[in-house]
Amino acid sequence: MLCHECREKEATIFLKVAVNNKITEMHLCQDCASKKGMPSGFGQSLPISEMFGNISGFVKEFLPKEKKTLRCWSCGLKYSEFKETGKLGCPDCYKSFEPQMTELLARIHGKAVHTGKKYSPKDFPELAHARKKRLLEDLKKELKEAVEREDFETAAKLRDSIKDLEK
Amino acid sequence: MKIGEIFRPYISWANGQGDWPDIVFSTRGRFARNVYGFSFPPRASKEKLKELAETAMNAVKKSRLFIKAHCIHMDELDGIEKAFLVERHHISHNLASQVSGAAVVVSSDETMSIMINEEDHLRIQSISSGLSIKRVYENIETMDSQLGRILPYAYSRQFGFLTACPTNAGTGFRISCLVHLPALARTGQMAKVLENLSTLGITARGIYGEGTYVLGDFYQISNATCLGRSEQEFAENLNRVVNNLIRHEIHARENLIKGGAKAKTEDGIFRSLGILKNARMLSYEEFMQHISLVRMGAAMGLDMAIDISSINQLTILMQPAHLQTLAGRKLDQFERDVERAGYLRKKL
Ligand SMILES: [Zn+2]
Ligand SMILES: [Zn+2]
Repeated sequence: MLCHECREKEATIFLKVAVNNKITEMHLCQDCASKKGMPSGFGQSLPISEMFGNISGFVKEFLPKEKKTLRCWSCGLKYSEFKETGKLGCPDCYKSFEPQMTELLARIHGKAVHTGKKYSPKDFPELAHARKKRLLEDLKKELKEAVEREDFETAAKLRDSIKDLEK
Repeated sequence: MKIGEIFRPYISWANGQGDWPDIVFSTRGRFARNVYGFSFPPRASKEKLKELAETAMNAVKKSRLFIKAHCIHMDELDGIEKAFLVERHHISHNLASQVSGAAVVVSSDETMSIMINEEDHLRIQSISSGLSIKRVYENIETMDSQLGRILPYAYSRQFGFLTACPTNAGTGFRISCLVHLPALARTGQMAKVLENLSTLGITARGIYGEGTYVLGDFYQISNATCLGRSEQEFAENLNRVVNNLIRHEIHARENLIKGGAKAKTEDGIFRSLGILKNARMLSYEEFMQHISLVRMGAAMGLDMAIDISSINQLTILMQPAHLQTLAGRKLDQFERDVERAGYLRKKL
């Protein structure tokens, strides 16, 4: 059988992956498998994100459509870039793309609400303080930048966030 | 760096301990965690990644679990040394290919490790021999709680722990068992078994070599999702599924030594032992094909002159980078195949 990827060389690696009732089969030559970062050794797991991101296009096919201009207010990642790579830029991307992420997570995991281990930096006062300080600094810097480039919509959002934090 | 001097040829977590060691090779668990205030590694600057690596290393070193730990930066390693750590399950291929700020801290007994600046800032991992889900979970849980008090994790009440790839968000928890299923494969039941698993929220992965059998008949069984249920629920689900697999595998093994099948099975096992004992050249793939049968033979009580623990060690040591580290020099494929066969003749 020929390699599914390059359609030139003989496939030597056969991978069968079953996720959420969806079975993906891949036939690859050694070269293409290595290019995909696919482990060929013993017991090495293929990172699940690889499987979703590159192999089956799983994430991409589930991503809600969104207008091109949507981007993360914190790291600047465009939603369209996320659709390309399947990788988010920073923790705040989850907030920036909240409706989209809610839908996407529900499709990947079956649910979109975390019920596992709880975590709150508030439980660790020093941590919470350091985090708040750092976040405020970042936000103020971004606000300044937004004002400079006359992006008043973003600036207004940032001002709200700063006010919330300073309460 | 001389990786062969840091890590001994004896691998503590492949010692055949834990429950059902003749079927479950190892259990692994990990938490994916990120630190608030930093972009995820794929999008962070070099400087930020280095800053994070330093902060994380200092935090890890404070833990009693990581006394005398090995701190290893990816940019200090050559290709063979990176491959060595991948073969030993301490790092991923992905970490091996990163440069800036990518590092790993491995506990002195090698049962715990923390990858820094892989796809996520932290991957807290533990590995143990046999079926030992509880122990592995407790290890990473302890470490996670300690680190979370020093580093502010990226967390949201709705989505849980936030990760670079949404497939890991929520608990960030992945628990897996590496199971050895030679009898299920030989009795033609594997396809059905794999399909059943997928309806249970479980993923099974095997890497196929040439032909029909998965490399050494080893399958990686893990939770397919990690959001919307608790860590304990994911762990219990895996435990249930793996116990079921064990039951099926035992049943299939019994069928292989019943009546007319017995002579054929034993013949296959002893032929494999003969090849491992006498071959002058052996590729890793061929080695795995035969050691798989010898492993089943040892589990069935046949006289293989080698126990499960030593078989497990060989399975790790005969991989290309380990072999070259043992030999103390770079070997091409041809030389490796000769070296591998020579090592086995001495051991068996
Ligand atoms: Zn190819
Ligand atoms: Zn972002």
